Amino acid sequence: MKDLSTANFDTMTAAEFEEYLPELFAMGGGRLSENPRFAVFFQTNPYCAALVSDLETIAEQARSLFEPVGDEEGLEPSDEVWSNIRSQLAVEGIETPPDGGKD
Amino acid sequence: MQTKPNPGFFKRNPPIEGEAEAIERAKNGDADAFSKLYALHKRRVYTLCLRMLGNVSEAEDMTQEAFLHLFRKLGSFRGESAFSTWLHRLTVNLVLMHLRKKGLNLVSLEETINPSEEDAPKRDFGSRDPQLAGSVDRVTLERAVASLPPGYRMVFVLHDVEGFEHNEIASMLECSTGNSKSQLHKARLKLRELLRQPEKLPPVAGLQEAAR
Repeated sequence: MKDLSTANFDTMTAAEFEEYLPELFAMGGGRLSENPRFAVFFQTNPYCAALVSDLETIAEQARSLFEPVGDEEGLEPSDEVWSNIRSQLAVEGIETPPDGGKD
Repeated sequence: MQTKPNPGFFKRNPPIEGEAEAIERAKNGDADAFSKLYALHKRRVYTLCLRMLGNVSEAEDMTQEAFLHLFRKLGSFRGESAFSTWLHRLTVNLVLMHLRKKGLNLVSLEETINPSEEDAPKRDFGSRDPQLAGSVDRVTLERAVASLPPGYRMVFVLHDVEGFEHNEIASMLECSTGNSKSQLHKARLKLRELLRQPEKLPPVAGLQEAAR
């Protein structure tokens, strides 16, 4: 991983910037595209600005996948899964309701 | 004794109404409380398994295993992290164990998560690529994620979807944090590539079609 403390983003090339990107994204602390430290670099390298913006969009949209949406079949396990869990728990001495798992 | 939770843990996984009570009741062997916990978490656990495994049948098997494991280990949950974080970590570890048993047990994931050159994102940095048009819709992203090589998909799902930190992922996948950061970056680059041509993404059975 590249050392960010000595990097001069005002003068580096696009290829050099790419090498820093994994570490820059991992650093956190808000959007890189809005960080004043990179303003000059993005002005002279608009394609890098576009790339960073796209990767930020992907990462942000990914968070929305965490919570399943909709009630359609396919978003949850079949009833058989709960039935199997019940059977196994019964063997272990815990009796659960047959309609368990229904919201 | 219940440990005081760190509020920082709940930024992503806020407590669900009725969950804390169900946990305490389930710890005392209350069968209805087990059922309640299953109802509250089955969808997220199942979609996590499905994204990691890409197979409905295996995802159902691992969901079943995860909840059985949960019910057996619930007594060790101390509330030091959000319950769903704890449950998802348990699920990820079970899925990884399953994958290792299937054939990844001979070499570490450090080696096996690196996709072939063919699967790697194109090194076209600096060229004038068409930018993604603003937002990316959920269904298209889900399809693109499903199309990622398994190693990239694993790190992307764990970090960007599930919210695990690189050090946690490194520990789960038995790789370095640097490797986790690098794989995540490559995964996002590959996704950008895939999302530029969404019409070429193959339909995948499972959750993303149901989410339409």
